[in-house]
Formats: sequence, C-alpha cells, structure tokens
Amino acid sequence: MSDKQAANGKEFDPTETFREMRDTYMDAWAKGMVETVNSDAYAKASGMMLNACLTTSSPFREVLEKVMLQALQQCSMPSRADVISLAERTINIELRLDDMDAKLDRIEKLLTQPSASDAKRNRTAKTRGSKKKGVK
Amino acid sequence: MENTSNIPLPPFDLGAKFSNFTRVVGSKVPIAQTPKELVWTLNKAKLYRYVPVVPAEKRHPVPLLMVFALMNRPYILDLRPGHSFVEFMVKHGYDLYLLDWGTPGPEDKNLKFDDYALDYMPRAIRKMKTISGSDEFSLLGWCIGAILTTLYAALRGDDGLRNLILLTAPLDYSDKKAITFARWVDERYFDVDKVLAAFGNMPGEMIDYGAKALKPVENYVGNYLKLWDNIENPHVVESWQAMNTWVSDNVPLAGGAFRQLVVDLYRNDRLMRGEWMIRGERANLSRIKANLLTVIAEGDHITPPCQSAGIMAKVSSKDKELFRTPGGHIGIMAGSGADKRTWPHIQNWLATRSK
Repeated sequence: MSDKQAANGKEFDPTETFREMRDTYMDAWAKGMVETVNSDAYAKASGMMLNACLTTSSPFREVLEKVMLQALQQCSMPSRADVISLAERTINIELRLDDMDAKLDRIEKLLTQPSASDAKRNRTAKTRGSKKKGVK
Repeated sequence: MENTSNIPLPPFDLGAKFSNFTRVVGSKVPIAQTPKELVWTLNKAKLYRYVPVVPAEKRHPVPLLMVFALMNRPYILDLRPGHSFVEFMVKHGYDLYLLDWGTPGPEDKNLKFDDYALDYMPRAIRKMKTISGSDEFSLLGWCIGAILTTLYAALRGDDGLRNLILLTAPLDYSDKKAITFARWVDERYFDVDKVLAAFGNMPGEMIDYGAKALKPVENYVGNYLKLWDNIENPHVVESWQAMNTWVSDNVPLAGGAFRQLVVDLYRNDRLMRGEWMIRGERANLSRIKANLLTVIAEGDHITPPCQSAGIMAKVSSKDKELFRTPGGHIGIMAGSGADKRTWPHIQNWLATRSK
C-alpha cells in the first residue's frame, strides 16, 4: 500500500492527470455545444431534418394505414378509429359519473350537516329552557 | 432495491468495472416508495393521497396538491426513500395529494390546457376537499404543472386556493433569445401541425431528446462519465440509478396541449400578455390573490430564470415571495442539496400559511 500513498496522504491514482485533462476538454466541448444548439443555424438545420424525415415517411405511413385498415376490416376487427371512438365515449361516461359523484357528495354533506333551521330551532329550545329555569 | 453497493475494485480491473457499469446503466430501481392510496381517477389522470404518518390533530389543516408536468412522471417528487420531497412533507404533517396525469393515448390527442385546468384539476380538487374536509387548499406546480396551477389560480382562484407554489415555472416567453426552445420551435423552422399530423401526440422520446439536446455533452457523455468515475461509490450509484430510471421513463404530450405550448406560449407569449383564452375565458394573472411562492433555479437551462420572475409583478397577491436557489431544473427538488435548501424553504413558507 505504501507505494500508493502520496505525500498528502491520498491514494496515488495514475489516471488523475488523464481525468483532469479529460474534464478540461469536456468543459470546453460542453460550452461549444451549448452555443451551437442555441443558434439559429442549429434550429434551422434540425427543423429541416425533421421536416425531411416527416415528408419522406408520410407516404409510407399513409399506405401502411390503408393496408392495416383493410386487413382489419377483412378480419372483422375494429379499426384504430373505432377503438379511439370507444375510448372517447368511455371518457365521457367517466365525466358523467364524476358529475354524479360530486352531486352525491353535496347531498351527503347536506344530509349529515345540521341544517340552518335545525340549528335555529335548537337555539330557541335552549333559550326557552334557560328562561323557564330562571322563572323557577 | 437492487444491490449496487459494489465491492471495491482493484484500480486497473477495467473488465470488472465495465461490467459493473453496464449492469448499473441497464438496470432500473424501485422508486416512488412512500405509501399512498388512489382516491380518484378520470381518464388517465389519477389522484393519490399519501398515507399520513402524523396524527390528525398535529397535521396542517390545509391540504397540499402537487401537480407535475404533463410529459414526465411525477414520481420525481418521491424519488427514493430517504431522499423524497413527498416523504419530507408527509413527515412534517401535510395532508399531501399528487395528481398524476398518466400517459395520453391516441384518444387524448386533442386534450388541451383548457381541459387539464378546467376539467381535470377542479374535479381532482373537489375530491381532495371532500376527503380532507377542508374548503381551503394549497397548490404546488412544477414546470408545465406550474403553468396549469397558474391557469387554475387565474381562472378558478376563488375556489378556496390559499397558497400557490410555483417551481421553475415557464410562464414568461418574452425574452426569446434566452430561451433555446423558443428558437427551436420558431415558425420559420418548426412545423407543429406537420409533427402532430404524423404522431397525434408529441412522442416522449422527442421531448426527451429536446431536453437533453439543450446540454448535449453533459447529458449524453458527462452523465455517464460521472457514473464511471464513481462506480465504486454506492451512494452516487444509487442516486444515479434512481435519476436515470426517471429520466428514461418518458411520457408523450397530448397533441392539443403541445400545440398550445408552441403557438400560444413559446411563439406568442399569450399568458403574460394577458391574451391567452382558455375556453373563452381570458387567463388574467391579476386575478391571482393566493399567497405566492415562486422558486427559481439559478442554473436552469430548461426554464431560464427570466421565465419565472415576471409573474411576481402581475399577480394581486399581497403575500408573495421569490426564492432563488442554486441548481438546475430538476436538481433543485431532486438533487443532493434539495433537502437542505429547497424543501425546508417550501415547508417553512407553507407551514405558517397552512394554519
């Protein structure tokens, strides 16, 4: 172990110098890249690439969709649009159920909380009771 | 949890080190471990209530609802036991709720901010109020979640909202030069309709690429070098794995919301200019009266600080604070210093306003 000990007590690491050089290089590279991606030229280039990719793939996607639709129809299977429509209807039902749940909560709250008239009646009864006691 | 407490390796055993490295990179760890119960669902959205650990009489009476971004998983708030904002807040006696937006499917491609802010959030909040028995509540929004909570506060702020906490909130898009995303989605270069016609929803992988490409060297190289250098340190490996699990778990963004984000916000800055119409109603920031805490990450490259500060002058809140903290967009809440700086500040601010 002694050969691994440097004068300051830290373990000797032969890769330390390499790591320092690497980190310095990485910092410079990172700064350069941040400037690059934050430029109009990068935005333009990435936009063009994305556009080209979408334009090229679009005809294939359309053909694939048509073929898939026909295949599903042949097999008497629901299409993607059918499933989406079904999902949308389910979500609408969920919304209605949530509305009902809210109404039920309100009704329950009204039933469990003493109403204002009940509270008034109770107060009046208490006042009368204390008055009677006072008379006696 | 997978055991990553590695046996110290001889300094030049590169083979073993590489093998260990690839194992760590390829594995995922369990996250979001704080016990919670599902209390409400609508479509893909879920409302969770964290199981309180503090007796009811010692808990803060005002519940807190956390709303995270639409295109990332919200479990970043509950990353791993011992380093979880959720765990921290539950231990401090908060009745804590989390709104998880889930993963939008093709049937959700038309969902907009309007739907999230005026259909989903009010319903989830109603449920939270019913369960907690409190008419007042606090909202915490992070990233896009902060846009949603701001919209809610501006449109339905009279509904019992007492405290509003905004973390790295991308609200102000006036300084286009400071916002790299604004440059990328400029209408001269980016055809949002063409992208959505092809995909329906904005794919999670594309959003992930966009976020990582802001700092490509750090994200694609530096991140792995950090792991390589610290592969023998179980603490670093554990936190790296948890963060990597979250980062690689991408969620698509509903097409309608993505279009609004690009056109209404990044291109036209409609929220800050008071021109954003949400279901025919103008989102007026001056209608926000709740106590406001805005947290800014000084080293944030996704939401630069200039995007979050502007709201302070627009709201009508009498009690408002702008808190700047060192760190990045995610680091301020999930980084190693979060439990010493950001979490205690939020907790202390909220505690005095939740009585």
